[in-house]
Amino acid sequence: MTRGSLFLRKALWALVTILVVITFNFFLFRVLPGDPAKAGIKDPRLSPEMVANLQERYGLDKPVLFNTGEGGLFDSQYFRYLGALAHGDLGTSYAYKNQPVSSLLGSALVNTLWLVLPADILAIILGVLLGLVAAWRRGTKLDVGALMFALFTWALPTFFLGILLLFFGSHYLGLPTGGRVTIGLDQGFWATAGDVLRHLLLPTLTFALVLLGEYMLIMRSSVVEVFSEDYILTAKAKGLNTFQIIRRHAFRNAMLPLVTLIALNLGFTVSGAIQVETVFSWPGLGKLTVDAVAQRDYPLLQGAFLMLAISVVLANLAAELVYLRLDPRVTEA
Amino acid sequence: MKYRALAVLLGLLMVLAACGDDGAEETTTTTTAPTAAEGGTVRIGWGGAPSSLNPGLGELTEDYSIYELTYNTPITLDLDGNYVGELAEDWSVSDDGLTWTMHLVEGATFHDGTPLTSADVKYTLELYRDCADWCVYMSSYFDGDEVIEAPDPATVTIAKSVPTGSFEGRMVFMYILPKHIWEGVDPGTFDNAAMIGSGSFKLIEHRQGEYVRLAANEDYWEGAPVVDEVIFQTYENADARVQALINGDVDMITEFPATAIATLEANDNITVATGEPLAPDLTDIIFNVTDPANCPAEDGVCSGHPALRDRQVRLALAHATNKQQLIDTLLLGLGTPGIAIVPTGLGIWFNGTIEDYPFDLTEANRILDEAGYLDTNGDGVRECPAGMDCGDRAELSFRMNFPDDSDTGPRLAQTLADWWEQVGIGIQIQVLDPDTLTSVCCPSLDYDVILWGWGSDPDPGFLLSALTCAEIPTGLSESGYCNPAYDELFAAQAVETDLETRIGMIHEMQQILWEDVPYIIPYCALSSEAYRNDRFVGWLDTATKLALEDPSSLNVIRPAG
Repeated sequence: MTRGSLFLRKALWALVTILVVITFNFFLFRVLPGDPAKAGIKDPRLSPEMVANLQERYGLDKPVLFNTGEGGLFDSQYFRYLGALAHGDLGTSYAYKNQPVSSLLGSALVNTLWLVLPADILAIILGVLLGLVAAWRRGTKLDVGALMFALFTWALPTFFLGILLLFFGSHYLGLPTGGRVTIGLDQGFWATAGDVLRHLLLPTLTFALVLLGEYMLIMRSSVVEVFSEDYILTAKAKGLNTFQIIRRHAFRNAMLPLVTLIALNLGFTVSGAIQVETVFSWPGLGKLTVDAVAQRDYPLLQGAFLMLAISVVLANLAAELVYLRLDPRVTEA
Repeated sequence: MKYRALAVLLGLLMVLAACGDDGAEETTTTTTAPTAAEGGTVRIGWGGAPSSLNPGLGELTEDYSIYELTYNTPITLDLDGNYVGELAEDWSVSDDGLTWTMHLVEGATFHDGTPLTSADVKYTLELYRDCADWCVYMSSYFDGDEVIEAPDPATVTIAKSVPTGSFEGRMVFMYILPKHIWEGVDPGTFDNAAMIGSGSFKLIEHRQGEYVRLAANEDYWEGAPVVDEVIFQTYENADARVQALINGDVDMITEFPATAIATLEANDNITVATGEPLAPDLTDIIFNVTDPANCPAEDGVCSGHPALRDRQVRLALAHATNKQQLIDTLLLGLGTPGIAIVPTGLGIWFNGTIEDYPFDLTEANRILDEAGYLDTNGDGVRECPAGMDCGDRAELSFRMNFPDDSDTGPRLAQTLADWWEQVGIGIQIQVLDPDTLTSVCCPSLDYDVILWGWGSDPDPGFLLSALTCAEIPTGLSESGYCNPAYDELFAAQAVETDLETRIGMIHEMQQILWEDVPYIIPYCALSSEAYRNDRFVGWLDTATKLALEDPSSLNVIRPAG
């Protein structure tokens, strides 16, 4: 099978997965205890007429799957949802009155990426380096120290680490306790950029520390395994120095399991920052999702889940593509 | 985040977060952020964020805090719970009690410079009266029969077909909107992003879920505020909010865990204030007292234990409930014991003359013994008297439900069960999600005891209506309570236009409820707020109610030093 057709097949699978997820998502919220129709309309003072009115506005007066009454078989909540989705319309939030879900998710996603991307990059670079060094100096005090550090940060609950850093960072370093920017300073561009950076520091550090441990551990074990392969011995026999061995032979092979992990994490980071965002009042996707759960904002939740699912599927697809480049054997499979 | 009024109060303000009690913070606090005054920008940290800038659509406390600053209402409540005029200079009712006349103050203008006249008031009141199909709360302050007229630019009349006793209470959330802007839009979908009002602050910037930035209205008709700007910033995490105040990132915080009070008070630059919340709430223990004859024909299950219909049983349980201890352990002292369904925070409406049942387990046991509920089989749980028809539930063993989103629910339930078991009452605790709880509650009345709560309007009328016979089939009545004498008083107070007479009636209704015990009101939570006394001074923190984010404080505070 050629690389091109392989890519097509993978992309097609991703598309099918997303479609299944859309359907699953839609019904998930409708089989859970508690009626989404009532959740948006739960005020005890509402009269039955008002409830009927609201239900009509949100389209909740229609049957869920097939409409056997008037309006045609496909005039149902599910097919209306699919139809609207095709036009990029994710519906209207219950809690944020009259605001389209897509614009709420859009602005939150931008904020989340500001936080998550630097943290991811930092964690990957530090994690890989630390893992490499630990594997290289396997069994030394350096290795043990790095291992302990990674295990410790990995095991620490995110919100706890966040609160600790928040206390120490704000107390001793004078860093801000939350938010994206100091509101209302109206300063110039560079001052604002510096201000945003100061706000980013603690949440990014928290998130990077949480992710770093996993990267380091995987990288270390992967490199240790590669180091025991015969071709490394051959390379040593050829007289290459350690740096050359790592660069030319070990690194690329050891990266394979890490790529999987990075892809998985990147997909989940869209939601994975929930705890960090909550502790540092960062107005991102995670915080929006938590609010949506608390307020039973089903359209918003549905949209957030969809976005999460799509990003996981896309990240996996990206991982497959990177595999194609890293490992020629993949095409034969 | 809390639903302002009436939305069933699911869990109290006191979010007892796990890691709040940080003793190490006490000694070494320093101020690192910008120094005092800072051009007069007040920064307020709060836990929530407004959901909508359109007053018709708002339903959170945070929504109403912003409306209070940017809009004016005809009548407002002062922090001691009295009705005082805001846009209305005075108001009076005709002798037949049907027509109310309000005279407007002079010189009120909207933020865009347009004068506010009776035409705007008429437009707004009519909009709210008829908004039932799109708004959240506003239409409930009208009966629908109101005819609103503006005979001259400074006078508004409201004519009704039956008198109302709660005119003032109906006017306190009537945020007057500029007619020239609103008549050109669809009010139900209008986002009101510019928020043109007549209040003492103008909206500069709003970022959903992040912050709201307001500037002083320099042309405010009652005199401009001293400070230049007010910024409300959302700190979702309570510990972060407390740290933000200690650190000086904010000048005031509106809510925090009670466990943080010691830490905050240890800081010389921070003042902690406590008082009744602006929108009072209460926690209640609801008994299913539904008489089978009153069981709703359509939805009623009415499976309440027959013994709960006996006042003596409920009276014994009231004697077996230590309200003060609940306040001390669950709220760390930040609460006041309740009497009937009127929260203590409603001031004049609350009947404070009633001497509550003392906590006395011996007395509770005696009442139950005397009423014939004896433990005949020696298993520690009493049985119904021989002559009483308890069906297959001869044992005095009750189901107790509470919503799963209540922070205090588990401890409240467990503590009550411990006390009640000591007087021979068996309790099975079951946690339910709020939707399920609603479905077993009302109007199905398929429960024995529920621990829940209410938020209240400034006027007690709505909460009191929840105990009238007429509300049993509608599902507003949670207890199935029905007492003709009470209903008669309820009907009379609804149309009583004399304030003193109406207060007397409402006090009497609380007396009846207290004697009949369909509810036990363990407590009404107090709210606490904290501010940096080295930044701004003049906060109104000594009134009955505490609302430092209210214009009453923000209009007058000034930079320290």
